Amino acid sequence: MAAAAAFDFREDDRAPVLALSGDWTVDTIAVREAEVRALAERLKPGAVVDVSALGRFDVAGAYLIDRTFRESPAGDTARIAIRGQHVNAMKLLETARKAYGGALTTPDHPRGFTGFMEQVGRVMAAIGDEIIDTVGFFGETLVVLGRQIIEPRRLRWTSLVNVMESAGFNALPIVMLLSFFIGLVVAYLGARILGDFGASVFTVELVAFSMMREFGVVITAVLLAGRTNSAFTAEIGAMKMRQEIDAMRVMRIDPMDALVAPRVIAMLVMTPILTFMATMAGIFGGMLVCWSALGVSPAMFFARILEVVPSQHFWVGMSKAPAFALVLAVIACKQGLSVGGDVGSLGKRVTTSVVQAIFMIILLDALFALWFLEMDW
Amino acid sequence: MSEEIAIRVRGLVTRFGRQTVHDGLELDVRRGEILGVVGPSGCGKSVLLREIVGLDQPTEGEISFPYHAAHGIEPRVGVMFQDGALFSNLTVLENVAAPLREHAHDISRELRDEIAALKLAMAGLDGSAHHKKPAQISGGMRKRAAVARALALDPELLFLDEPTAGLDPISAENFDRMTQDLARSLGLTVFLVTHDLDTLYAICDRVAVLYGGKVAAIGTIPEITAKAEGWVKEYFSGPRGRAAHAGARAGG
Repeated sequence: MAAAAAFDFREDDRAPVLALSGDWTVDTIAVREAEVRALAERLKPGAVVDVSALGRFDVAGAYLIDRTFRESPAGDTARIAIRGQHVNAMKLLETARKAYGGALTTPDHPRGFTGFMEQVGRVMAAIGDEIIDTVGFFGETLVVLGRQIIEPRRLRWTSLVNVMESAGFNALPIVMLLSFFIGLVVAYLGARILGDFGASVFTVELVAFSMMREFGVVITAVLLAGRTNSAFTAEIGAMKMRQEIDAMRVMRIDPMDALVAPRVIAMLVMTPILTFMATMAGIFGGMLVCWSALGVSPAMFFARILEVVPSQHFWVGMSKAPAFALVLAVIACKQGLSVGGDVGSLGKRVTTSVVQAIFMIILLDALFALWFLEMDW
Repeated sequence: MSEEIAIRVRGLVTRFGRQTVHDGLELDVRRGEILGVVGPSGCGKSVLLREIVGLDQPTEGEISFPYHAAHGIEPRVGVMFQDGALFSNLTVLENVAAPLREHAHDISRELRDEIAALKLAMAGLDGSAHHKKPAQISGGMRKRAAVARALALDPELLFLDEPTAGLDPISAENFDRMTQDLARSLGLTVFLVTHDLDTLYAICDRVAVLYGGKVAAIGTIPEITAKAEGWVKEYFSGPRGRAAHAGARAGG
C-alpha cells in the first residue's frame, strides 16, 4: 500500500538537494505540506530534486514540489533540476509547471454592513419583480382562457382530462379523509365545550357552518397547494430545463395554450368538486360524533341542518373554490416556467410555488371572510 | 504502453427484461492505452462503461482489474459523463475540489483549491471560469470541467462517455488533443465511448467495436479495416469513415 511521503534536504557546499522518498500522491502529501513549504526560502538557484528513491508520484505531488520551487527566491521561473531515474517524475513536473495558471482569485462576495444592505435591497427588488411578474402572468392566463373560450378547438382535451384525473380525481381520497377527521375534531370540541354551557345541541350547527363556509374549501385548497402545485411546478420546470418548452415554442405551440390552460381549467373544474366532497366528508365525520357522543340520530342531524342552516353558507364556501383554484394553478405554472437551467432553481421554484400558494389561500380567505361578513351573507 | 491488462471483462451478459444487451462479451484493456469503444446506438456501450465503473451490475460475467489486483491496490477511477454531470449548486472550482475534499481531507484548503485549479488548467480552463456555476458556462467548457473533476484524484483509469458529442469541430479537436496529452503525460488508461470517427483516428491506440452483444472487432484501425465485414465494414468505409480516415492521413 501507499508509503508515507518523506524527504531529506541537504545543503551541500554546492547546490541544495531535495531527496524525495516514499509515495508523493494526493493521499500522502498532506502531512508534508507545511514542511516542504518552509523549504522554499532555502532552495537556492541550482537546487536539485533527487527522485531516485521516489515511489508513486502524481499531479498533486508534482504540484507541491513545483509550488515550492516557484516560491523559492528564483521565483516563477525557477528551474527544477532532477537527479535520478523515475517513471514519470520528469513528465509530471513539466506538466504541472506548464499548466500552472497563476495565483487563485477569490470570488467577490459583498461583505460587511454595506454587503448586508445590498443583499436586503436585492431581495426586496426580487420580491417586487416577482409580484409584478405573477400579476402579469395572471393577466396573460386570463387572456389565454378567454381565447380558448372563443376558439374551443384550441383546447387540449387529452391533456385536460389527464390533469383532471391526476391532480383532481386522485386527490379525492386524501382530501375526503382529512376533511372527515377535521369534521370529527370540530364536532368533538363542540360536544365538549358547548356541553359545558348546556348547549351541546348546537354542535350540529357548528359542524355545518364551519365545514361549509371555511374548512371544506380551505382544507381542499391547502392540500392541493401542497400536492398539485409542487407537481405542476416540477413538471413544467423539468420541461423547461430539458428545453422541451423551447421545442414547443419553435413549433409554434404556445406553452400557455398547451401547458398552462389545461392545468388552470382542470383545477377550475375539479376544485369545486373536491370542495363539495370534502364538505360532505367533514359533515359526515361530525354526524358520527353527534350520533355517538350526543345521541343525535342521523335523521335528526340532517333535519336540524335543513331547518337551521340556510343554504347560503354552502354557496359562500363553494364560491371560494374557483378563486382558490385559479390562484393555485396560476402560481404553479408561473413558477414552473420561471425555472432556470440548473437543479437549484427547480428546488427553489417548487418551494416558492407551494409557499406562495398557501400564503395566498389564507390571505384570500381572510379577505373573503371580511367581504362576506360585511355583505351579511 | 505495456502488455499489462488494466481492465479485463470475461463472459459478460447483461439483460434488461427480455432484451439481451451483452451476450458473452470479452474485452481486455491494456494499461496505458486509449481504447475507443464504438458501436451502433443501443448496443450497450454506455452500459458496459457503467458496469466497469461499478454503477450497474452485469447479469453474468466478471469484470476485474488484473494489474491493480497484482499490485494489491484498488484502481482509482475517473468518469466523465455525457453531459458533464457537474454539481449545479457548486462553482466549477468547487466541483473539481469536491472529490479532493471527500477523499484527501487532510490537505489544506489552499492546496486543495490550487490542485483543483491546476487540474482545470490542464483541461484548458483558466481562472475566469473558476467561480462560475456550471449553468453559466458553455457546453464545451462544462465538458472540460467534467474532465478536470474526473482527474481530480489522479485516477489510473479514465472513462469518457461521448466526450466530443455536441462540440464544434475545432473544440472537438482541441478536446481530443487535450485527452491525448493528459493520457500520455499522466500515464492514464482511457476507456473512451464515442461516435466521433475523427476522435477514433486521431487519438485512439486501439478500437473495440461492439456489435450484437459482443466485441465484433478489436485492434488498431488498420487491423480492423483489413478484415472488416458487415456492420464494421459499413462503419469504417461509409462516407464519414472515409472522410475521417482521409483527414487523419492529411493531418499526419
